[in-house]
Amino acid sequence: MSELKKTPLFDWHKANGANIVEFGDYLMPVWYGSARNEHLAVVCQAGLFDTSHMATIRVFGKDAYEVLQWCFTRNLDACVGKDAAPLTDGKCVYGVFLDEHGMAIDDSLVYKLADGEYMVEVNASMGGAVARHLAEQGKGRDITVVDLTDKLGKIDIQGPASIRTMAKVLKNPEAVFDKLPYFSAKGHFDPASPLAAQVQLLDGTPVLLSRSGYTGEVGFELFCERDRTVSVWETIMAAGAEFGLIPCGLAARDSLRAGAVLPLSHQDIGHWLYINHPWPFALSFQPSGKGFTKAFLGSKALEEATGAAHTLTFVGQDLRKVDAHAAKVFLDGQEIGTVLTCVTDMAIGRHEGRIYSIASPDKPEGLAIKGLSCGFIKVAGPLAPGTTVELRDGKRAIPVTIATDVRPDRSARKALKSFM
Amino acid sequence: MYPSDVKYTKNHEYLKPLGDGTALVGITHYAQEALGDVVFVDMPETGAAFGAGDEFGTVESVKTVSEIFIPSACEVLETNQELEAHPEYVNEDPYGKGWMLKVKLTGDMNPELLDAAAYEALVSAESH
Repeated sequence: MSELKKTPLFDWHKANGANIVEFGDYLMPVWYGSARNEHLAVVCQAGLFDTSHMATIRVFGKDAYEVLQWCFTRNLDACVGKDAAPLTDGKCVYGVFLDEHGMAIDDSLVYKLADGEYMVEVNASMGGAVARHLAEQGKGRDITVVDLTDKLGKIDIQGPASIRTMAKVLKNPEAVFDKLPYFSAKGHFDPASPLAAQVQLLDGTPVLLSRSGYTGEVGFELFCERDRTVSVWETIMAAGAEFGLIPCGLAARDSLRAGAVLPLSHQDIGHWLYINHPWPFALSFQPSGKGFTKAFLGSKALEEATGAAHTLTFVGQDLRKVDAHAAKVFLDGQEIGTVLTCVTDMAIGRHEGRIYSIASPDKPEGLAIKGLSCGFIKVAGPLAPGTTVELRDGKRAIPVTIATDVRPDRSARKALKSFM
Repeated sequence: MYPSDVKYTKNHEYLKPLGDGTALVGITHYAQEALGDVVFVDMPETGAAFGAGDEFGTVESVKTVSEIFIPSACEVLETNQELEAHPEYVNEDPYGKGWMLKVKLTGDMNPELLDAAAYEALVSAESH
């Protein structure tokens, strides 16, 4: 087995007390002091994540659009906002790359930077596989695919204090934050790019700043040149300290994303039919819900699929969880499926049948929020929201409720102005 | 980290004799650090009797749910009710406020329990 990889921030993590674990091919921080505090910081203040293990792919050429439009589940002509506008310069969109059998290779954000110039962000260790896939699908076309794995630094700042923190470190924060809706980006990590002047830190470091993330909370993903990563990280940490910004590890990232109903690739989506799941927006369905607005790789298999499993979101009654790898799902005593993810969102609790977040403006006074287990199950057939099923892992059995959402009052889509 | 008035199991529980035939039972500093934030401790009923090595409950952290085992034969006199509201005591003060059970020792002390030096050698080998 080859040696595990380190991001440019590995030494910083070690020096700052991180508990390091193996994650894919990488050695990554799982938490620093307390995963619980890190989770709560992102909901209430802000957290900083090293996501340099994720892979960036540059896709360019006259036919880049057509190849991506064929390979990606989103319709690039109709995917932005409520009005389903086309993907234009500076916009990004979440979707999935499927194989011809309609099974997920990986999920991704696809950025349009300019005509014929795209950036594709995929999961750790997936840069090579997705880049090969795109190159294969684009054979004979005018398209170049460059896997930038380990060539860049990537840092996510997430949580309501992200905006005030970034306002302190950016050269022209008002201009950067102006017209920067959820799923849009400005700037470029490459100093040679004409876009690089759009977003710079005070010391002149150019970054690609994307208003997106993997926590459900407002914030940004920043891409920079690899050798700038530590300096960008330390600059942001120092600026955010007064607002309660703390470094966060993979455990908090996992519990935050589950509470935001976001899938983990290769765990909640993977080598099975990408249909009947909580993310129908990632497929380019017709408004009627029948059929797709375009043909794409895997769409035929999805249309012809019969008896595909259903992936559903659940929320527990309290913070107790089961071991997802070992657990099975039971309905009225009958085993009906498996557990994909089961973690605890530490920022939520139940009160009189409703779920509140620690950040809910209408949270009853004195309500003690201890957390609720949540995640995804894969079962044979559909179940209505509100249905109670039991998850059993051999050690314990917990009742959980099928849900359409988990952590309420998330901040990701709120106007940036409201955080200044 | 590993007080000398405490005896340890290879599974990272401890037994702290109080000198009157009773003892406190909990998990070690090494265990709490490996588990991460403890969020819930599932404990037995008062009066329950256990043999050495019996499972007496589970400790749930952000990472996992782990069984916890009795260091030496005993009967449960009391469980730490504070842990229900403050499971973080297990992280903050595992041998003090984070105790789990107060027990009456029954029978001979389990001869396989380790002293502090032997336990420290064990955990330094585990964490290379």
